Parts: sequence; C-alpha cells; structure tokens
Amino acid sequence: MKILVAVKRVVDYNVKVRAKADGTGVETANVKMSMNPFDEIAVEEAVRLQEAGKAKEIVAVSLGVAACQDTIRTALAMGADRGVLVETDAELQPLAVAKLLKAVADQEKPDLIILGKQAIDDDANQTGQMLAALLGWAQGTFASKLEFVADALNVTREVDGGLETVALKLPAVITADLRLNEPRFVKLPNIMKAKKKPLAVLKPTDLGVDVTPRLVTLKVQEPPKRQAGVKVDSVTTLVDKLHNEAHVI
Amino acid sequence: MDMQNPPAPETVALLDGIRAFVDPAHVRTDPDSLLNYGRDWTRFYTPNPLAVVLPDSIEQVQQLVRYANDHQLALVPSGGRTGLSGAAVACQGELVVSLERMNRILDFDPIDRSVTCQAGVVTEVLQNFARDHDLYYPVDFASRGSSQIGGNIATNAGGIKVIRYGLTRDWVTGLKVVTGRGDLLDLNGGLIKNASGYDLRHLFIGSEGTLGIIVEATLKLTRPLREPSVMVLGVPDLDSVMSLYHAFRSQLELSAFEFFSELALRHVLKKGLHRPFDGETPYYALLEFDNPEQASTDEALALFERGAEEGWLVDGVISQSETQAKELWRLREDISESIAEHLPYKNDVAVRIAKAPAFLAEADALLAQQYPDFEVLWYGHIGDGNLHINILKPAAMEHRTFIHKCEAVNDLLFQALQRHGGSISAEHGVGLTKKPYLHYTRSATEVGYLRAIKQAFDPNGILNPGKIFDR
Ligand SMILES: Cc1cc2nc3c(=O)[nH]c(=O)nc-3n(C[C@H](O)[C@H](O)[C@H](O)COP(=O)(O)OP(=O)(O)OC[C@H]3O[C@@H](n4cnc5c(N)ncnc54)[C@H](O)[C@@H]3O)c2cc1C
Repeated sequence: MKILVAVKRVVDYNVKVRAKADGTGVETANVKMSMNPFDEIAVEEAVRLQEAGKAKEIVAVSLGVAACQDTIRTALAMGADRGVLVETDAELQPLAVAKLLKAVADQEKPDLIILGKQAIDDDANQTGQMLAALLGWAQGTFASKLEFVADALNVTREVDGGLETVALKLPAVITADLRLNEPRFVKLPNIMKAKKKPLAVLKPTDLGVDVTPRLVTLKVQEPPKRQAGVKVDSVTTLVDKLHNEAHVI
Repeated sequence: MDMQNPPAPETVALLDGIRAFVDPAHVRTDPDSLLNYGRDWTRFYTPNPLAVVLPDSIEQVQQLVRYANDHQLALVPSGGRTGLSGAAVACQGELVVSLERMNRILDFDPIDRSVTCQAGVVTEVLQNFARDHDLYYPVDFASRGSSQIGGNIATNAGGIKVIRYGLTRDWVTGLKVVTGRGDLLDLNGGLIKNASGYDLRHLFIGSEGTLGIIVEATLKLTRPLREPSVMVLGVPDLDSVMSLYHAFRSQLELSAFEFFSELALRHVLKKGLHRPFDGETPYYALLEFDNPEQASTDEALALFERGAEEGWLVDGVISQSETQAKELWRLREDISESIAEHLPYKNDVAVRIAKAPAFLAEADALLAQQYPDFEVLWYGHIGDGNLHINILKPAAMEHRTFIHKCEAVNDLLFQALQRHGGSISAEHGVGLTKKPYLHYTRSATEVGYLRAIKQAFDPNGILNPGKIFDR
C-alpha cells in the first residue's frame, strides 16, 4: 500500500498570533512556523502503518512557499520516504489545495491519503472532504482509530454523539483527529537521513491547476480584549458587583 | 501556638495591636492559613506560626516591622512558599508576613527595558507581562506559577536559563526594602551604573528574609529567543555528560544545559509523559539554543554525529515545534513535582564545572555505598555546575528516621564537596535545612562578618531568626 500524507506549514501553535495593523491578515514575519499539529498526527499514523508492515511507501506533500520544504523534511525525518512540494507564493484556499492534492494523487496513485482534520491557521476543515469528493473516493473524517479488517479499513470517527465506526474500501481519504495517536519526537540521526531523501518540486502550472482564490478576505482583526478578573473580599461585594457592574443578577 | 486551641489572651492583645493598622480581615489565625503559610515546599517541620499578616502597602510593612521591634516579635517574610530549604517556614510561633497582596506591576519603561513591581508579583505574571511587550524575563523554573519576585530575590533564584542569562541577581537594577529597623531603603534606583559606594542592593539579594523585607523591585528585561530548539540526548555515563557539554558549548550559544538520570525520568513517565526515544540510557541531557530558521541545526547534527562516533552520545531527539520543545522541557521540569509524594531529601550542590566530573564520580560512589537501599535521583542545572541530589523515602520508613539517615551521610558528602571547592547550596538557600552545614562553604571568620551585617540591619533579630545561622 502507498500512502500520501499532506503536511502544511503554519504559525506555530504556541505563538501568540497577531493581526497585521492594516487588517489584511496575520503577522508572519519573524514568527516561528511549524508543521500543522493535525498533520503531524497524520504523518505519525502513516509511519505506524508502515512499521506495522501495512504500507510500503509514504509520500509527504506540501503546498506553498519554498520554506515548506522544512515541513516536508520534518515528515521525512519522522519516517516518510520522499517528498513533493508544489511551490507557489500565491494564497491557497481549501478548494485549490484539494485540486492540487488531487492532481498529485493522480500522478502518485496512492491507496490512502491521510490529512489533518484541519489546519490550525484558518481552521477551515474542508480540504479532506473536498479532496475525497474530487477523487470520488471514500472518506473517513475525524479519525481517532484506523484498523484494517480483511480488505476494509475501519475508521473510528469522533462525532458529536460519541464514536462512530465506518468501513471504507480503498482507495480512501482519512482526516486525522487529535486522539488518533501521539506523534513521536524526531531523532537526530533521522534528520540526517531525511536530508538525503528525495524531494521533488513542482509548480501548480505543471499540474494544470488554477489556484486563483475564490473567496475574498474582508478584514482580519483581533478579538476584543478580555477584562482581567478581580478578587472580591466577601459575598456581599460579589453580589453587588454581579448586580451593579456585570448586570447578570 | 497550638492550632487546635484558641489563642492566649496575650496573643489576642498582640494581634489586636496589629489589627489597628492592618485590616483585621488580613490578620489571620484560622488553622488552614496557619498551616499553609507556616510552611514552604519542605515537609520536615511542623508549621506553628502565631498568625499570618497580609499587608498591602510599604507603610504597613514598616509599621509591622516597628511593631515587631517594640514587642520582640519574630517575623517570617513569606513569598510563594515554594522554597526548598525551609527558609519561609514558621515553626516557632513567628508572625508570617505574606507579600501576596502587594502584587501590582507599577511601571514599565520600554526605553530602559525595565519593569518596576511590588514584591508579591508572581514570577510567571512578570514573565507574561514581559512577553506581552515583546520582551523576556529570563529567570525561569518549574515553580514560576507560585513563586514571587520578592522570594526570587530573597533566594537569588537561579533556574533553567542561568547558563546564558545568569541568576536573579543579574536582573535586579533597583530594590526597595524595609530593613529590620523599619527603615525604607531605596537602592540603586534602576541604574545600570552606579559607583557611589557600597551596593547594598546585593546584600539583600539572597538574604533569605534575614536582613529586610523586600517591597518593590526594578528588573531588567531582555530580548526573547526567536526560535529556541530543544534537544534531549541520551548519554551513557556521567563523564560523557561533560564531554557533551564541552563540545556543544564551544559550538552553540546554549540557553540551557540540564541533565537527569533514567531513574528520575521514570517518575515523570509515570505521570503520563512519553520517553523522548525508544530505549533507555542511564543519563539524559537537555539542551536549548536559539535556532531561527534552523540556522544552527547543521552544527547540532555534526556535533551529534561526533558524539555518536566518540561514544559520549547514544541517541537523541530535537524539537520540531514549540509544542515539542515544551513537551521535552517537561521531562526535566516535572521531575520535582513527580517525586514530591516520595518526600525526597534534597541536596542542591554546586561545583565549578571543571571540577564536576571528579566530584560526581566521588559522590556517586559515596551515595551508592551509603544508601544501598534508597532510590537516589540525580538531575540538575549541570551547565552551571549545579546538581540536585534527591533521595526518595522508602514507603515503609518513618519520616524522621529517613531524614536522620540522610543527614548522617551529609557530612561525608559535604566533605567531598569541600575538597572540590563546592557549595552546600547552589540556589535553594540555607534556610533551616542546610544551616548545620554552612561551615563547609563559609569559614568561621566569614560567618562572623555575615553576623555583623545582620546586626547592622536587624539589631533586635526580629527578621527570620534562626535561618541561615543560629540567632
Ligand atoms: C518544583 C520546584 C522547582 C524549583 N526550581 C528551582 C530552580 O530551578 N532554581 C531555583 O533557584 N529555585 C528553584 N526552586 C525553589 C524556589 O522556587 C525558589 O527558591 C523561589 O525563588 C522561592 O520563591 P518564593 O516566592 O516561593 O519564596 P518563599 O519560599 O516564600 O521564600 C523563600 C525565602 O525568601 C524569603 N522571602 C520571600 N519573600 C520575601 C520578601 N518579599 N522579602 C524578603 N524576604 C522574602 C523568605 O523569608 C524565605 O527566606 C524550585 C522549587 C520548586 C517547588
């Protein structure tokens, strides 16, 4: 089995994100960028499937600026075999990403595509679903467990009411949820090995995909600042404040 | 005072005198307060304070000190009570003076890059304040969420970034203290340079509440690291830790160099953390360095390869995100808390780094021989020559017996330390726990001068009496 994993370069989860002064987007200059945490989980799952003898090859794909190569190298250090970067400086919206991934999938012909359920920068949660639709493949989204049973892939999904298990026929698209696994740390010797693994760079035009944005961002602004809490000395003051200041009772 | 029985009439009168100038709600004698404010992180002493007072202004602190002088009342200045040497313990009927209500940040100057705050500001609050202004307060350690700036100054706290940023002492540019006489001193006023005579500020830094009550401080801030990378490396033996230190420090500007043993790691794994990599090694080193755009990763890799070839490294991982950096840090930082339930006996010693291997070898052999049945954990800020030795209490052993057994070996350990020119307390202070051993680090003549200084600032001996040396 061949697995394609999509990895996105995003502002690090721990960075306090700030809106640009002109409201056009989020400040990314001099900001730590890392692999989208859900994509780390996707890579980890692929590597575990390979370690379990289920997968033969893992291809890590990223789309975006040249620096996305770092993100791919991280995936390679975690255990992916080779990388593909579709390089562009253009803004990529979920539909464009899904189309590019479909084009890569048409070339690579994987049996399974694993993505994060969403990227923590735009929280769109659309790419995996769109990709499955474009390919006409089965989809198992919000996966918290994968299990091969005969020729079906059982995917446990985290849904509002609890856990739902669906049986998919391959080829299929999976999107990884938080509890699917806990990604490993990257070993130093594996970083060295990763440097020697192949990484192909393509352009969207090579794949014949038009990535022009369809949606217009009107404005990006910070949420209103929360007032600091106060400690009160007595129940009477508390009640007084709730009544006269917060107006909740 | 017996915590169960009502206070004696003299006590009531004494406290009523205080209630005349501190809001009575903040003069507490309830058993919970007496227990909690009467102890720090040590658990060998029975808390027994007279009362807990929480002043909220410099004037109130001065009034308290004067009142204590008039009534021969002992005061224990109290911060976050995360201290590990019993310095904030009140076990002899003292009055605890908690600074926790004096917790305001008073001033921030972006040009000076300095912040002035009251002593009761929690360390992490100050760190976050700095971060919100794109700056960094680099004194940092696991108790940051509870310890206070005043307590940090009174202990000259060190922590996990000392190798690059130094101790608390290096960041204090101004101090306001109420001396044991009740005088308010305004020391150094935030100046970088000030050659006008003795710098009393430095006497109060590390004085463990014995000379004055710190009420305000001005602290320098610095630029934050841009993209710190964290590595955890598996090391075959203690000597190799030093080879590793030497090799990495000569190539990279390290902001942390910590170490811990496999035995120590197992305790944090029990709390749900994951091994850095498959397989065990006897020791681990944690290194942090600034690595914007992965600029230094190649150097780190080359050093790793060399270490693997020369045999002083076995395996290792490097963080790929800040989340991973934090997770790796927890392997080291959570140790203290993860072993707290075993009532560890702690030693916190320092040697010059060059002397560390020889001392370590000697101490390791000594502990193995003296404590064959005890679990001994090593970890610490090895990059500063600072080792924490923690001995865990066997579940079946009575606490007193355990402590006596541990103390019995201290003299041997400290004799070895003395031969290597080390200190019996690297950063935790002397307080009560290390008082009997001060002579291994300070000569009688020197202690004489310490006492003379104490006499000058606190002639009636009302401030934290019996801490550092006997009154
Ligand atoms: C999990 C853990 C990890 C730790 N790691 C480190 C570490 O890496 N490095 C390190 O150096 N320490 C460490 N410590 C020890 C401790 O956190 C520090 O010593 C800290 O600086 C104590 O601050 P505090 O506010 O809790 O002081 P307290 O414990 O309340 O008091 C300590 C001493 O300071 C005096 N004091 C407190 N406030 C004042 C004041 N306003 N004026 C005058 N005297 C005052 C007290 O009387 C006492 O003598 C650790 C502790 C824990 C529990």
